[in-house]
Amino acid sequence: MQPIPLIASLLIALSVGSNDTSNALGICIGCRIISFRRAVILFGIFVLVGILLQGRKVMKTVGKDIVEMDLRILGISLLVSAILIIISNWKRLPVSTHQVIIGSLTGSGTALGADVNYGSLFEILLSWVISPLAALFASLIIYRAMEKTLSKLPFLQIERIIRVLLLASGIIIAYTTGANELATILGPIIHAGLIEEAWAFFAGSFLVFLGAVVLSNRVIDTIGKGIMALDPYSGFAAQFGAGCCVFLFTSLGMPISTTYCIIGGITGIGMLKGTGTVSVNLLKKIALSWILAPTLAFLACFTIIRTLI
Amino acid sequence: MGLKNLFLGGKKEQEVIDKMKKHMGLLCSACTTLKAAIKNRDEDLLSNVSDLEREGDIVRREIVSSIYEGAFLPFLRPNICRFVEIVDNALDVTKDAAIEYTDLWLDEETKDDCARIADISAKMCEMLLVAFGTLSGPDDLREKSLAIRIYEKKIDEIKFDLIKRLRTKVTKNFWEGKILSDFIHDLTSTSDLIEDASDYLQIINISLR
Repeated sequence: MQPIPLIASLLIALSVGSNDTSNALGICIGCRIISFRRAVILFGIFVLVGILLQGRKVMKTVGKDIVEMDLRILGISLLVSAILIIISNWKRLPVSTHQVIIGSLTGSGTALGADVNYGSLFEILLSWVISPLAALFASLIIYRAMEKTLSKLPFLQIERIIRVLLLASGIIIAYTTGANELATILGPIIHAGLIEEAWAFFAGSFLVFLGAVVLSNRVIDTIGKGIMALDPYSGFAAQFGAGCCVFLFTSLGMPISTTYCIIGGITGIGMLKGTGTVSVNLLKKIALSWILAPTLAFLACFTIIRTLI
Repeated sequence: MGLKNLFLGGKKEQEVIDKMKKHMGLLCSACTTLKAAIKNRDEDLLSNVSDLEREGDIVRREIVSSIYEGAFLPFLRPNICRFVEIVDNALDVTKDAAIEYTDLWLDEETKDDCARIADISAKMCEMLLVAFGTLSGPDDLREKSLAIRIYEKKIDEIKFDLIKRLRTKVTKNFWEGKILSDFIHDLTSTSDLIEDASDYLQIINISLR
């Protein structure tokens, strides 16, 4: 049973690398601010820096505070999470790694009658609701501040500054991917004592990097082309707002989704430019996925354990 | 990309800016040459206009390929390319006017009016270059755009008077009339296109704000 959670965690880390590089540096690669090769190296470095400097709080929340861990809970939760995340990535469905992992852990814990900390769980659920809204407001403020300051500079100077800002916001997202996303994946196995912390940090970061090198091309292509519709001002405000928001929640030890924060940021900018620019149907689908992902993970683990064990 | 390039602006962007200035400079030279050619009825100068247009084509291709290789943010590239195309179209019509003039014999009054139009077009071009410079400096682009619009209005006034007068002129045959009409059309189109380019400059300028 012991290798299962380890392998599952590392598979999820690989999948995070393949998908979340685009969250961080997709815009920069699409805008040719930085080459793909340099972007993935930068991404890998900042993921490692993120988990080394700030990953422990989120690891404690996910690995220690939610549910009383045992090998069965860990094995089934992480295996189901890995399967769900890989299938949804393959089918290009947007799911949050955090939501799937926490849904799975809670489902397994409940089915096995383990001590589930509903207080912590409530705090996490609350942070999932608040974080996209916080990113929305942060992006609005950043956008307004840019309009008041940056817009007054000559055009070519703005162009150069935006390049630097886009790279900086990409680096912040890479950092929070390590400090929050990777920490969520590694928290349960480290706190269960399945792997040494230092080993987990380096192996996890390496697998995220490997996923970025080998599998992220396709997603980055989509983001790079798709971002054309979004002007650089809005792209930066949404990404930086999301980055700051994830950074803040990471400091509080809350595992939250960068993707949902970026969606919150983009929605905020859309609202500022006029509600007509916001696709309500798309937001409904995202909200549905927001509810379905943890619910499905919870039910899958709960059913498997009740049926098999 | 090194940090220096990132903070101080990429080499590619600077290359494109320099080439765009060169492109607009060629248009200025073409208009000035056409003015002198019309005034002095100089065949050599008329063929120089064609040479300048060919050189402009080469510069345009270089600009577009530099943009394709990654100069500027993708969001800006279509507008920059469109601006370059408009300047290139202005060069094309200036060359067409020069070719048509080789087959024309105009009276002194008409010749003076045509030389004045070419002269104002050259001034518009110089103003377009100054306006382009405001993209990297603190000056206000709107003032320069306004000056270009005023120049264009002047050309329109000259054009309408000229056309009114030419309507009373008896032409020898269809082709003489056709070439004269095409010449006036092409000569005055240069200023229309420069005005369009100035409008595009405004679009580029506000697109990142």
